[in-house]
Amino acid sequence: MGMTDFLKPGFYVDSFDNLVDWAQSGSLWPVTFGLACCAVEMMHAGAARYDLDRFGIMFRPSPRQSDVMIVAGTLCNKMAPALRKVYDQMADPKWVISMGSCANGGGYYSYAYSVTRGCDRIIPVDIYVPGCPPTAEALVYGLMQLQNKIRRGEASRRRIIAR
Amino acid sequence: MAELQYLQEQTFKNFSNWITHSEIANGELTLEVDRHYLRDICFMLRDKPKYAFQILVDVCGIDYLQYGRAEWQTESTTGTGFGRGVKADFSEVEVKWAKPRFAVVYHLLSLENNHRLRLRAFVDEEQPSIDSVVDIWPAANWFEREAFDLFGIIFKGHPDLRRLLTDYGFIGHPFRKDFPLIGNIEVRYDAKLKRVVYEPVNSIVPRILEPKVIRHDHRYEGEQKRD
Repeated sequence: MGMTDFLKPGFYVDSFDNLVDWAQSGSLWPVTFGLACCAVEMMHAGAARYDLDRFGIMFRPSPRQSDVMIVAGTLCNKMAPALRKVYDQMADPKWVISMGSCANGGGYYSYAYSVTRGCDRIIPVDIYVPGCPPTAEALVYGLMQLQNKIRRGEASRRRIIAR
Repeated sequence: MAELQYLQEQTFKNFSNWITHSEIANGELTLEVDRHYLRDICFMLRDKPKYAFQILVDVCGIDYLQYGRAEWQTESTTGTGFGRGVKADFSEVEVKWAKPRFAVVYHLLSLENNHRLRLRAFVDEEQPSIDSVVDIWPAANWFEREAFDLFGIIFKGHPDLRRLLTDYGFIGHPFRKDFPLIGNIEVRYDAKLKRVVYEPVNSIVPRILEPKVIRHDHRYEGEQKRD
């Protein structure tokens, strides 16, 4: 279901779930969790050239106002409880994008004493964006994959069953 | 170079009882000082107009445990590179280091005289401790906390000697050469306890990612001739 469907004359019938999924995927508000150089690429994605606003993606300074968390950078052991706390403060339904090698699995610092080997040890992750750091395009692609996932209804329904 | 030699002569004249060794290497003067007289030397270096080292650029610790020991003995790097995942074996290499294991290094800068100076003070291995210089240069505050955190060197007289960088409740001093690179604990979220828990490291095993190879260093050879 895309925007072009609404340009046709007449009326449209669909399930309420699909309508909700469509609405949610069109206004993803990420809480910024910039931890390292990935955060700079995240800023690029949000700035004028790639302009995440046109996808309805607007960065929020508070987890209470957010639907998606972008973990951008190296997650250290010291930061892990804080990451979990911010995730717990987000309202359902919520999604997580793990951005870059460090957040995906420790990356360059996988053998270090102070780095968490993947943020999926702390919070459930929906989309992994590879790269070191991923380009802004890669992050935008990851966000679009998350939109697709939400529109398929998999992410939110699985959460509700799990709860 | 002449200025450095003048500085070396002057410091040697003033502090001859407190300095164990002084050398000019790579265009910089290094003084090895007796740690018991560190504060006396620092006060004079800061306050005497001849020195006027008003700025403390850096304080750091050093661990000489594996000084001069390479993980790969090699004459040259090969085109195929190194084998990976080989355990380090230091047994065959003789130790050349006869001085104490830990040292604290202070980098000083004098804007008035355009001088730089490095002080190196060796500390006891069993109970590494040295006098704090926070009241001489306030900049030393966090540097000393960092050195305490990473090397376990106690700075006597420091107003607030807490860990600076490592995790809350961290055990050990990670920049010591006998601290395992992968550490001792890792974290994970426990869904039952609903909190992040610490566990012994079991997801990885130690290995050498980047072998330490010591080759003849000829980067600074030209400098000696230039002056």
